[in-house]
Amino acid sequence: MIGLIARRLLQLPLILGVIYTLTLWLAWGIPGNPLENPEGRQPPPEVIEAMQAQYNLDSFGSFYGSYLASATGVTWLSEELSGEAARRAQEAADAGVAAPRRYVFDLGPSLQYRDIRVNTIITDAMPVSITLGLAAMLIAVVVGVSAGVIGAIRPNGLADVSTLILALIGISLPNFVIGTILLIVLGIWIPIIPIVGWGTIAAIPVPAITLSLPFAAYIARLTRLGMLEHLSSDFIRTARAKGASETRVIIRHALKNAFLPVLSYLGPATAFAMTGSFVVERVFSVPGIGQHFVNAVQNKDLFLIMGVVLIFATMLILFNLAVDVLYRWVDPRIE
Amino acid sequence: MLRVLLPVLLLAVGLVLSVVSERPLPRADLVVNNGSDISTLDLQRMSWSMDLRGARVLFEGLVANDQFTWGFDIKPGVAERWELSDDALTYTFHLRENALWSNGEPLTAHDFVFSWRRALLPDLAADYVALFQLIDGSVEFYDWRTEALAEFADNWSGSDDAAARAQAARELWALTETKFDDMVGVHALDDRTLEVRVVRPVPYFLDLCAFATFFPVYPPLVSQYDQLDTKTGRMIAEAGWTKPPELVSNGPFRLTRWRFKRDMRFEKNEHWWNADSVAIDSMSLVSISDPNAQVLAFQTGAVEFLADVTAAYRREMYAKKRSFYDEHRSEYESLLAQGYDQYEIDRNLPDDPRKHAHFVPAFGTYWYNFNCKPKLPDGRPNPFADARVRRAFAMTIDKKAIVEEVRGFGEPTANTLIPRDSIGGYTSPKGLKCLSDAATEAERQAIATEARALLAEAGYPDPSQFITVELLFNKDSGHDLIGQAIAKNWNKYLGVPTRLMQREIKVFRDDLKNTNFMTSRAGWYGDYGDPTTFLDLSRKDDGNNDRKYHTAEFEGLLDEANLETDPARRMALLSRAETIIMERDLPMVPLFHYVHTYMFDASKLGGPNAHPRTKQWMGGFDILGDGKGPDVAPAMPLRPIVQSLGRLDGAAP
Repeated sequence: MIGLIARRLLQLPLILGVIYTLTLWLAWGIPGNPLENPEGRQPPPEVIEAMQAQYNLDSFGSFYGSYLASATGVTWLSEELSGEAARRAQEAADAGVAAPRRYVFDLGPSLQYRDIRVNTIITDAMPVSITLGLAAMLIAVVVGVSAGVIGAIRPNGLADVSTLILALIGISLPNFVIGTILLIVLGIWIPIIPIVGWGTIAAIPVPAITLSLPFAAYIARLTRLGMLEHLSSDFIRTARAKGASETRVIIRHALKNAFLPVLSYLGPATAFAMTGSFVVERVFSVPGIGQHFVNAVQNKDLFLIMGVVLIFATMLILFNLAVDVLYRWVDPRIE
Repeated sequence: MLRVLLPVLLLAVGLVLSVVSERPLPRADLVVNNGSDISTLDLQRMSWSMDLRGARVLFEGLVANDQFTWGFDIKPGVAERWELSDDALTYTFHLRENALWSNGEPLTAHDFVFSWRRALLPDLAADYVALFQLIDGSVEFYDWRTEALAEFADNWSGSDDAAARAQAARELWALTETKFDDMVGVHALDDRTLEVRVVRPVPYFLDLCAFATFFPVYPPLVSQYDQLDTKTGRMIAEAGWTKPPELVSNGPFRLTRWRFKRDMRFEKNEHWWNADSVAIDSMSLVSISDPNAQVLAFQTGAVEFLADVTAAYRREMYAKKRSFYDEHRSEYESLLAQGYDQYEIDRNLPDDPRKHAHFVPAFGTYWYNFNCKPKLPDGRPNPFADARVRRAFAMTIDKKAIVEEVRGFGEPTANTLIPRDSIGGYTSPKGLKCLSDAATEAERQAIATEARALLAEAGYPDPSQFITVELLFNKDSGHDLIGQAIAKNWNKYLGVPTRLMQREIKVFRDDLKNTNFMTSRAGWYGDYGDPTTFLDLSRKDDGNNDRKYHTAEFEGLLDEANLETDPARRMALLSRAETIIMERDLPMVPLFHYVHTYMFDASKLGGPNAHPRTKQWMGGFDILGDGKGPDVAPAMPLRPIVQSLGRLDGAAP
C-alpha cells in the first residue's frame, strides 16, 4: 500500500510536467495579446513591450523556464539562499511596514486583474468550490446509491421506472435549466433560501443539489447495473439459501460488490465537482474557481490558465490515488 | 457495511471541515454591490468606475466634491484650506494637522509629491496620466524619462554585465527623482504645505484633486512594492500592497478583508479626521457579477445598494417606475415642480417595490461620428467632409423614437454634446433641430425638406445617387438596433441608400482609430466637471478625435478659453465652441445622454446623490433609522425651476 502511494506521488511531478508543457503549448497559441484589453484604455506600446519583457511573454522558451522555476519553488529557494529575501524583509522592517508577501510556489500575477496574484485567486476561490463539490458529491452518493438499490430490488417495477426516468432527466437536463428552476421556485416563489451569494450554511444546499444531479443520476445507473448483475449471481443465491434476511443480502452482499464501480467513478467525479461548476456558480452567484477557468481562457490570462489547470490536474491525480487506496481496502482481492 | 459507508463518511467529514474553516463575519451594516470586483486599488493606475468608487471609500484627496450641490462644489479634504495665486497658476494647499494614515502616522505634503510622481512615470502607464500633465513641467519630465529609458535599453541591451547594469539602473532612478523635483511644479514646502504650479489657468484643477487618481498612497508601504527592474531600468509596480492587512489608507474606511471576486470588507477608520461624521461601522462590497442576480440580491434583501444596474429587464423596471409615478401623478408633479430631486420625491411617495430603481441622467452622451476627412478610406471623395451634408444627416434622425422604442429607460434625447445642467455655470447651446422636435408628420416633412435642400446645396440634388452610407457599430449592447433605426430614418427622410456594418469590438476600435468609416457609433463619459472634458475630443490632435474634425475657429475658442482667467467669460467661450460643433459643423450628432441606474430604498438609505456626475461617495451613506449617524438623508437643494434632471421622461423644461 505504502509502495503504491509512494510510487504515485513520485509520478505526480512527471505527469504535471507533461500537462504543464502541453497546456502551455496550447495556451500560447491562443490568438491575441493578453496585455491588450479590448474594453479598457490601452497602455502605450513601449509599456506593453516592457511588460512583455517583465513577464517573459516575448518568448515561449523563457516563459516556460521562468514559470516553471517560480511555480516549483526554485525561485523562492534561490531568493532565500542568495539573501535577497532577507534584504527585502529588512528594508520593509526599516520602513515600518509589512514585507511584501512571498509564495513558495508562486503561480505568478494575473494579467487581467492587476492587483491579484494567481495564488490569491486560487486560495480565495478554492475553499468555496471544495465545499460546494463535497456537498454535491455527498448528495450524489447518498441519493444515487439509494435510487440504484431501490431500482434493482424490483427491476422494471414502479420504483425502478421512476428512478430511471429521474436519472435520465438528471443526466440530460443541463445544470442551468435545473438551477434556474430551483432558483425561481425556492428563491422567489417560496423564498426560503438566500438565493445569491455565499457564506452561510443555508446557501449551500440548493447549488449543491443542482450540481449533484448529473453525478447522482450516473451513480444510480452504475449501482442499479451492478446490483442487478450481482443479485443474480451464485453467492447471493447461497446467502439466501443460508437464510440471510433480504436486507442483509442486499446491503452486505450485493451492494458491497456493486459499489466498486461507483467508488472508481467517485475519484474523477469529485475532482470535477470541485472545479467544473462554472454554470452552477454563475446561476447562484457562488464565488468558486469555475468562473476562472472560463475567464482565464477568454482573457488569455496565461498565468491564470496555467494556475487553474495545474490545480485541477493535481486534484484529479490525488483523488484517483485516494480512490485506489480505498478500493484496495474495500476489495482486498485487488493487488 | 463500513466499507461502503467510508467514502460517504469521508465526504461528510470533508464537508464539515470545509464549512467550519470558513470564518464568517457578522453581516456588515451596509452591503453594496459595486458591479464586478475591483480590478485595482492602486490609485495612480486606476480608471474603472468601480475602482474609483472603492477608492473614494478608502482614501481622500486634498479636496472633495460636495455631492449635494448642483455645481458639485469643492469642499476641503486633506487640505483644510488653499490659496490660488493672482495669475491663477499656483495653488498652495494647507494640509490639516489631524490628517492621518489609517495606521496613525501623519499624512504629509511629501506623500502627495510621492504619489503624483508615480502617476507621471511612464513606467507605470497610468491611464489618467493626461490629467496630471496639466502640472507645470510634467510633460517635459514624462518625455525625459521616456527617452532616458529608451536610451538605457539601447545602451544595455547587449550587455552581460548585470552588476554594472543594475548600478546604472539605480543611478538613473536617483537622477529621475532629482529631475522630478527640478522640473515638475509639485513641491512640499514643509510637511503641511503643498505647492502645485499648473501650466495654464485650469479652473477645474480642484475638481481633478477630488478625483481618485490624485489621492495619496502611503509611501513607506508602496515603495516596498514599486521595484526597480535592473534589466530595463524601469519601475515595476507590484500591487500586493492593496490587500489587507498591508493596505494603509487615509479615508473614512479601512480595508479589512478582500476575497477576490467574492467580497471586500470595510471597517470605519477611526484615524480619519472626520470619523465622527461616518454613520456606518462596517460595509461589505460583494461581487455579484451577473446583472440579473444583482437585482435579485437586492429584492431579497441581501444587498442594500446596487451601484450600477445593467440587468436585461432594466426596461421593465423603468416601465414599472413610470407606472408607479402615474398612479401618484399629482403628488409627483407637485414635488417635481417644487424642485425636489428624484430620491426626495421617492421618499415622499408611499412605499412600493417599484420605486427602488432610480434612473439618473448621467454625465455621458451617445452619438454618431461623421468622418470629416476630405477622402474616404477607399479614395473616393467624402461627402461628409461638407458640414452641410453632416447637418442634413443630423437633422433627419428621430432621436425620440430611438430613446423610447429602442432603448426604453428614459434617456433624455440630446441636442448637445455636454448633458444640460451637469456643469455649474455653463450654459448649453440650443443645438440643431431634428425630427424629434416635430410634433406632426407635416412638420417632420418640413424638416426633411430642409435637410434635402442642404444636400442639394452641397451638390447632391438627387439623394438616390448619393453614395451608400455606411453605419459602423460593434456587436452587443443594442448598438445594432440603434443603427437600424438611424438607417431607416435616412432612407425615409433623405432617400439615401444605407448599409449597416456590424463589427467585433476589436475590429471596430481599429476602424475608428484609422478613420475607416463613414459614420459610426460612439460615446463618452466626462472625466471631470468642465466642458473641456467633452469639447477637447474635437481638438485636432486629441487622441479621441476619431472624426478627424478640425477648424481653426473651434480650436481658437478653446485656446482662448484656456487663457481666460475670468470663469464666466471662459464658460461663455466654451459655450460658443460647443455651439459651433453642435449647430453648425456637426462632426458628431448626439443622440441621447446616458442614464445610470441605481437600486436602493430611498426611505431606508440616505447618502446617494442624484447628480449627473454619478459619482457616489459611500463614505457618506447612512442607514436611516438605525440610530447611528444623523439618520436624515442629505438632499439636493431645491431647484428654482423645473429642470430636465429630475424628470424621468427627459422632457426639457
